[in-house]
Amino acid sequence: MAADGRVSRLRRMLALWGLYARMDVLWIARGLKASATFYFGDLLLGLSGVTWSFLLAQRFGGIGEWSPHQIVFMLGLALVVRGSLEIGFSLNVAFPSRRIGRGQLDHMLLMPQPLWMTIATDGFCPASGSGQLLAGSAVMAWALRALGLPIGAGWLALLVLHVASAAVIMLSFAYLWASLAFVAPRAAEEINSSTMRMLEQLKPFPLDGVGFGLTLGLMSVVPAGFLAWLPSRVLLGLEPSPSAWLWTPLAALGFAALATGVFRAGLGRYARTGSTRYLSHGFRR
Amino acid sequence: MDFAVSLERVSKTYRQRQRSARIGDVFRNLVRPKIVAIEALRGIDLSVRRGEIVAYAGPNGAGKSTTIKLLASLLAPDSGTVRVLGMDPVRDRVRYVGRIGVVFGQRTELWWDHPVAASFDWKRVVWNIPRERYARMLGLVRELLGLDEFMNTLARELSLGQRMRADLGMALLHEPEVLFLDEPTLGLDVLARRNILRFVREVNRERELTVVVTSHDMDELEQLAGRIVMLHRGSIAFDGDFAQLRRQASDRRVLLLETPPGVEPLLEGAERVGGENGRHEFVYDASRVPLANLLEQAAAQTQILDVETHRAPIDTLVADLYERWQRERA
Repeated sequence: MAADGRVSRLRRMLALWGLYARMDVLWIARGLKASATFYFGDLLLGLSGVTWSFLLAQRFGGIGEWSPHQIVFMLGLALVVRGSLEIGFSLNVAFPSRRIGRGQLDHMLLMPQPLWMTIATDGFCPASGSGQLLAGSAVMAWALRALGLPIGAGWLALLVLHVASAAVIMLSFAYLWASLAFVAPRAAEEINSSTMRMLEQLKPFPLDGVGFGLTLGLMSVVPAGFLAWLPSRVLLGLEPSPSAWLWTPLAALGFAALATGVFRAGLGRYARTGSTRYLSHGFRR
Repeated sequence: MDFAVSLERVSKTYRQRQRSARIGDVFRNLVRPKIVAIEALRGIDLSVRRGEIVAYAGPNGAGKSTTIKLLASLLAPDSGTVRVLGMDPVRDRVRYVGRIGVVFGQRTELWWDHPVAASFDWKRVVWNIPRERYARMLGLVRELLGLDEFMNTLARELSLGQRMRADLGMALLHEPEVLFLDEPTLGLDVLARRNILRFVREVNRERELTVVVTSHDMDELEQLAGRIVMLHRGSIAFDGDFAQLRRQASDRRVLLLETPPGVEPLLEGAERVGGENGRHEFVYDASRVPLANLLEQAAAQTQILDVETHRAPIDTLVADLYERWQRERA
């Protein structure tokens, strides 16, 4: 019975992903000029976010223990993580403070499906959101070739696991901060932009050599270390601990649980207070 | 009795933070802000039969939108019970929203950068509407709302009237049993408004759709609904048909008299509100002063060339009623 339910939910999600993918492709095809501008703008934004640590690595022949190619790998991974979010959670799904603060959570609540399903599918943009993922993959492939690392099925599975975990951590971080918008919709409407920018700026740096307190902070309060640095250490074989491959997935579970709890508490408040403001075209392209 | 909507002793209070404009109060506003409780709904009881159209009216801040949000599953009551189609809108949200339709006049469910047809297709998939039902309802709304002319236009390029028609059509694609309309004709021109009203009446008649509609336009509500529920400061101040409302609000009528120029008749029990060149306009309460009495008075003062009488517009009556409620409260 439960298995039937899971299958039907999966089938439903596949149908929804198919729908949003179709809409995304049609959106691109309808206005090629506008969508090309959007696509390349997004790509440049992603690349510019990681360029500075690349230039530093080039200038000084690496950063700390990291060689320039290892740094490039880490930057590629950071782009792939960000790109995965762009593909799966566009249209402000990864910026929930906008949806809450603009009163548009109401639209999501009027859809006859669980809210988690809406969050998981509503922002799926595999075509228009693919720029950073493709660029990141290319950068990573180039670095791997230069590093001469043996790539097998096990390593690829580890890569997927770490990309997914890092994306979950990033999304959880967004939902944790966004929950402030349940309390102060107007003040917190744009809070996700700032918190994400902070993560974006911190993630392209290796944390080796950083003091314990700061590392702890960057692995908890602002979990930038989980987005590229720790996964890269594991994937590049720099982490001696045999259980290191579990740290990022476990952190993802922890952050997801915390974000779910806080967001659900916010939803409870939303049911009591509702939304006092509404902007008519804030989330749907 | 088969009720589609039932509210029992429903109350809802909002807490609103008060901010003083004085610079000296900045610290106090932060540390000990003044919170005011606003009672949006005070223990209201309301039932709507299946297939009924109910107009839900009241002055600004009366609690109309709060009620619609409660009925649409977007808000939970502080106390009391809300049941629609036998379900609790908040607890049974997923099942529930699949059986109702909601249209907010100031919001749109359409995808902004996609043509209307794409939004309709999105609705089909997300609401999991069977193909046969979708084709049938699509045909119906296209025909009745005249959607064909802009099905392939981007939502952001539609006029307000077109957008409203598209939103209304979209709200019905899954064949809901109850439709909640919150000011559906806000900002529309006369023709667009007439089309929307005609459409709602038609689907109500053909499909026994239960409709709860809010609006500030009383003429519109009278054309649409047989029953009107009026809210005043969170309580139901009136629940009945429009004829009863007219009686309660005073049966105010307009009397137009034409006499030879230069005469200004004075009628006891009627108020002269305008007129010139022998045409005189009076208003009077027909439940208190018989028309014959006024005509008798006029005839005693001058020659009557023509007489015309009609009911005051419902909007005027309701404005009087709101004013009376405010006076009573004061």
